Amino acid sequence: MRSVIRQIADKVFTFLTGTSVVLLTLVLLVVLGPMVWRGSKAVIFEDTTEFRKMQLDLYNRGNPTSIEAENSETESFRKVVYETIDKFKHGIDTEELIDRTKQIYRQFGKELQYKGVTNEQYQEIRSLARELRDKLQTAFESNDKKVIKENIDYVLQYRLNEHFVDTSAAEFFTLAEDFLQSVGNIDLDKRQQYAESLRQIEEIIFRLLGPKPGQSLPALTMDRYGATRWDLAQKLLDELLWSEQWMQEKPGQPMVKIRVARAEEFAGTKLEPLFGYVQENLDKMLLPRPKFYWQYFIDDSTPGHYFGGVGPEILGTLLLTLLAMLFVFPLGVISAAYLVECASDNIVIRIIRMCINTLAGVPSIVFGLFGLAFFVLFFIPLFGGPSKPCILAASLTLAVLTLPVMIRASEEAIRSVPQTYKEASLGLGASRFETFMKVTFPAALPGILTGLILSLGRVAGETAPILFTGAVALGPLPKSLFDPARTLSYGSYDIAVGDRLAMMVPHNQYGMVVTLVLLVLCLNAIAIFLRARMFRKLRGN
Amino acid sequence: MDKALLNEELEPAIGLKNQSLVLTPLQDIKGFLFHHLGRLFLFLITCTSVLLVLLIFFFVIRQALPFLTKFSLVEFLTTSSWYPEAGTPKFGALSLIVGSIYVTLAALIFAVPVGILAAIFLSDIVSLKIRDFIKPVIEILAAIPSVAYGFFAVLVLAPWMQTKWGFTTGTNALNASIILSIMALPTIISVAEDSISAVGRELREASYALGATRFETIVKVVMPAAHSGIIAAIVLGMMRAIGETMVVWMASGNAAQIPSPWWNLAQSVRTMTATIAGDMGETPKDTPHYWSLFAIGVVLLAMTFLLNIISEYFLASAKKKAGKS
Repeated sequence: MRSVIRQIADKVFTFLTGTSVVLLTLVLLVVLGPMVWRGSKAVIFEDTTEFRKMQLDLYNRGNPTSIEAENSETESFRKVVYETIDKFKHGIDTEELIDRTKQIYRQFGKELQYKGVTNEQYQEIRSLARELRDKLQTAFESNDKKVIKENIDYVLQYRLNEHFVDTSAAEFFTLAEDFLQSVGNIDLDKRQQYAESLRQIEEIIFRLLGPKPGQSLPALTMDRYGATRWDLAQKLLDELLWSEQWMQEKPGQPMVKIRVARAEEFAGTKLEPLFGYVQENLDKMLLPRPKFYWQYFIDDSTPGHYFGGVGPEILGTLLLTLLAMLFVFPLGVISAAYLVECASDNIVIRIIRMCINTLAGVPSIVFGLFGLAFFVLFFIPLFGGPSKPCILAASLTLAVLTLPVMIRASEEAIRSVPQTYKEASLGLGASRFETFMKVTFPAALPGILTGLILSLGRVAGETAPILFTGAVALGPLPKSLFDPARTLSYGSYDIAVGDRLAMMVPHNQYGMVVTLVLLVLCLNAIAIFLRARMFRKLRGN
Repeated sequence: MDKALLNEELEPAIGLKNQSLVLTPLQDIKGFLFHHLGRLFLFLITCTSVLLVLLIFFFVIRQALPFLTKFSLVEFLTTSSWYPEAGTPKFGALSLIVGSIYVTLAALIFAVPVGILAAIFLSDIVSLKIRDFIKPVIEILAAIPSVAYGFFAVLVLAPWMQTKWGFTTGTNALNASIILSIMALPTIISVAEDSISAVGRELREASYALGATRFETIVKVVMPAAHSGIIAAIVLGMMRAIGETMVVWMASGNAAQIPSPWWNLAQSVRTMTATIAGDMGETPKDTPHYWSLFAIGVVLLAMTFLLNIISEYFLASAKKKAGKS
């Protein structure tokens, strides 16, 4: 009996240890999987004609004539959308209609002054026009179809009045007719609700198709183009077709979100066909095409990473890390060489080793503080440099941070060179210096490089040390080492929490962080590959 | 210089010229000087690490000193209201220190069992071939930048917590600790595995020969023998968690409060690292707030230094034991 329990305990234990490893693998998949999947959409996606327009305008990429052709191809489909909305709007947007009548009235008055009518006539016509205006306004504001009909009919009887024909006041009658038509089949009590919904619809159409043709170009770059991606367009289409409303099912219960089809909301109105039309012809309005946007890795971005890529971030990251490696490589290798080849185990060496370990244990944010207090405020100004966060300060800070990693890796690499190599060299009469330079170092070089690449990967991902020493979220490309730089790591932080605009472009958020992760993982893969090769070589097969 | 020397040393040996094998006094002195000056040079370069550690302590403490002279250190360490920008600023860092320790310990609750079990799995249970498949998983977990973990915490885990698990806020101590535990795991696993593997084969074989199962062998023989290495692994994992900045800054909610009730992980906390990272950007130079951030840095530095010494002690004793057996 006891042995059975012991057996079971053994099995359970084995199972638990296995589970923990499975858990690790799952964690890795859960962390990386969705991230890489969503990030890949920044590079591989279906673009639309708006994207191609944007690429031409911002990056001078693509063929202007073919985009012109696409423009004229899509225009006819888009026109229908705008027309449908405009027609419906005449019956809905009373404020705009009233404003328009006021404008017409004013314009008509001015026209009249130049026409050379007598003063009395002028007064008479003008008061008639005022009356028409007021009647129209009453009609527009009214919710009662009878009142509307009366007022509009009253206005329309002056249609052929000689004073109004071929003047700006003639628009009164077209307004009146349009209004009567569009009012014919809508529920006037719902007008407020319609107006609100219409505003949303117009906003969605704006984001879908970009600014209306003929309108002045918006000031922000992000407003100049419609949906640049097909997935974004589909999302907007969904928003267009369905409105989300908070409803209370029973009193006292929490509100629940429900989806209402906008086509139902606008049933029976002139806007109803819009939804079906957009749904059916969206691809003709946007012309989606599969796209491999490799330029994502070299393109600059518009504010908030709304459009464009991560070019400056990659550049900044490479600059910082390579510069840091430049500082740390000689230091690390020489230190390691000394520790392996020359040092005996005495108190001084023990202190040095303790310091290296301490350095490895210092939190990265403290390196940031140190970089700020030492490099930014003290060291660089000491040599006449500017006392502000810059690439030089950041890379020096990173070099300090990675020094222990570099020393340890080089030490291990130098130690792993077989003693026989050295003995052979020394036996030939070479000095220790020569032995190190010509035998040990070349043999250890792959290992040292592995360490270098590993620290490169670590440094590329570090954010905290460069927060105050040289990383910025926005800014021009650095011109010298004394400028701050945009980096992938800080950019990933900023795009995740700092930037409101970025929330609207999740593919770019994930694209940035996935670029960073892939960069780091690639460096690690190279290091692992090098290490495996080195071991094979040192073993001698 | 070394080329000339090379010729001088090599040629007599090879016998290209008719020179005596005995070095002239000049050559002797040259060689002596070269050897010792070279050594000195290498030694000085190696001392950069020492210099850097001293510089770090000196410069961080120097910037923190004005704060310590103007405000009471006792108040800094024992009160918990952190209002550095108020009319009469209050610098009670206790809530921050507690926040740091809180998320770190919570992370260890997840990470230690999983980490040790995984280490046992790798060292004692699977074959080398399967190990080669699992090692990269751990290496990748260790290689993912902390900001990417923070990104995951904010944009994936936090919304899950809010919508699926019904938390009031997705950025809380639990979120931060989960991510921290993932980040501490590779450290814990690799150090613990090293020390478990270092336990001699004879011990295991003796145990098996006495009829013990694998479970009994590991728990009663291997673990006690490897305990210092395992403790070192936990301490190192703790260091990794307590010094982590980006994840806690992004995921912990950043509310400077001591969690109450203490077991409720769903509350927002604020750690020392996150406070430094978050406040430094907006704080003008040479103000009490600025100095106070350096003071937090000193506390952090002291804590990690202490942990480092502890881990060194245990690692050294683990090494000694491995050497004996």
